Amino acid sequence: MADARAGTGARTQRTPARAWSPARRGIWLLVPPLLLLGLFFVLPLAYVLIQSGSAPKGPFDTYVRIARETSLHYPLIYTFRTAAIVTVFALVLSYPVAFLISRARGRWQLVAMTLVLVPFWTSAVIRSYAWLVLLQRRGIINEALLTLGLVDRPLRLSNTDIGTHVAMVQIMLPFMILPLLSSMRAIDPSVLRAAAILGANPARQFAHVYFPLTLPGVGAGCALVFISTLGFYITPALLGGSSTMVAVAIEQQVSRLLDWPLASALATVLLVLTCLMFLLYERLNSRLASRGGA
Amino acid sequence: MRANASEPLWRIVGLGLTGFAVLVLIYLVAPTLAIVPLSLSPDPFLRFPPPGVSLRWYEAFAHSIDYQLAILNSLKIGIPAAALATACGVMAALAVVRGAVPFRRTLAALLIAPLILPQIVLAIGLFPLMAKVGLVGTYPGIVLAHAVVTMPLVFITVSAALRTYTPSFELAAMTLGANPWRTFVHVTFPMIRAGIVVGFIFALTFSFDELILAMFLTSPTTRTVPRLLWEQLNYQMTPIIAAATVVLLGATIALLCLAAFAATRSRHLSGGAKGVQP
Repeated sequence: MADARAGTGARTQRTPARAWSPARRGIWLLVPPLLLLGLFFVLPLAYVLIQSGSAPKGPFDTYVRIARETSLHYPLIYTFRTAAIVTVFALVLSYPVAFLISRARGRWQLVAMTLVLVPFWTSAVIRSYAWLVLLQRRGIINEALLTLGLVDRPLRLSNTDIGTHVAMVQIMLPFMILPLLSSMRAIDPSVLRAAAILGANPARQFAHVYFPLTLPGVGAGCALVFISTLGFYITPALLGGSSTMVAVAIEQQVSRLLDWPLASALATVLLVLTCLMFLLYERLNSRLASRGGA
Repeated sequence: MRANASEPLWRIVGLGLTGFAVLVLIYLVAPTLAIVPLSLSPDPFLRFPPPGVSLRWYEAFAHSIDYQLAILNSLKIGIPAAALATACGVMAALAVVRGAVPFRRTLAALLIAPLILPQIVLAIGLFPLMAKVGLVGTYPGIVLAHAVVTMPLVFITVSAALRTYTPSFELAAMTLGANPWRTFVHVTFPMIRAGIVVGFIFALTFSFDELILAMFLTSPTTRTVPRLLWEQLNYQMTPIIAAATVVLLGATIALLCLAAFAATRSRHLSGGAKGVQP
């Protein structure tokens, strides 16, 4: 037995082709990452599911409560609506910026890219704090308006839906601009020239050639922004609004009301919604890809 | 859309679009810069126009033991977390891109999942589990949590680096008798080094900025910079936060420049290899 093992060891060193047999080549490399993922990602998620059914009144009590009580399911509806609003505004604002950057040359492109990348890597805590400095009762905007005599009393800008949405769109912009930009850079300019030669004006070139070619980027950007907004915590928790986002509601259930089963049920719903949106995106994306191929 | 662009109508449309895009860029960048005048204000409350310039909040920041401890904690947590994420992310990328493993698509989706999933969901599950084994409030607890959420960043950057060149380099090395380890050290690693460095920096930055897991899994002695900022924002707003934020902003920009530098250097290095791609 020992001899046989020693023999394989020696052979492994001399004939590597056999050690890295093509059938399950590299499978052992997956052991550490999957261990990390299994223990600290899959297991906790399974625990969330179990915890959501651990309410004293029965395993489905928490879900029944979420369905029945407006104060519990309204954050979910509000979160979905907010994600839709933020995604639409981010797309409309990002498209021209990405277009401009994809057309810019040399130094201008570098400057514009820096203006997009620095916010992308700046902490959301810092960027939300900046909005608080701008929007609060004695913040920069109100002080400026008062000094200039444009208003008599400070306006209520923070703790409003509009203020929070404006801040969330701004924080999400880079997540929309970057995917758009990568799809725009992949477009062959000769395609547009061909359309122009065939007599299409810029509007028709855009509608029939350019925009359809950027659809993968539009899809990726929208999916990224929508899914990230579903779990948005920092900005809504700091700036407030008329209603709470579901991530804030989960945190409040845990830290203020100590209701872990209910928080877990809300987290499970958020998890399922996130997965559904991701699957929907994958579905659309593969359909788009197959149509592009045909 | 370049042809026909000489017509006045389309030129006006183009100018309008450019103006709109510039306004969006200002909206993207300017609000964050509002912190700078606040950090330089001598008053504890913001006034407009600012009554003068003072560095007292920067001085207070430099002398604050809370911040010193938090920065040290962020480093003690971020560096091991990013290192672990990098080791696991590289192995996962090698297996999925170069290896012959089953369920490749599902695996890739699973490896990216921690980045997509809202951190609050993971925090709700990790906290009670880690509490049971006594990991809450310890360094290993938060390091492991950050490693799991940052591994996808390394997986993505290293997978992209592996896809930029053909596997025939590795095949050639192995045909010439190199074992897998030597092949990795002498062929694969030099080719994907930049991807690994960029992935590591991304993971480090992510860990430095992460709030929600830190809120649940750190204690007052292991709390990180974002958690300290958050607590100060919610309980005692002082312009020290503004000074701290400006310093952190500078650090972020410095790290970004480092990542950009690593990426450009690699493009020069692997420029020759890219041409071989079939």
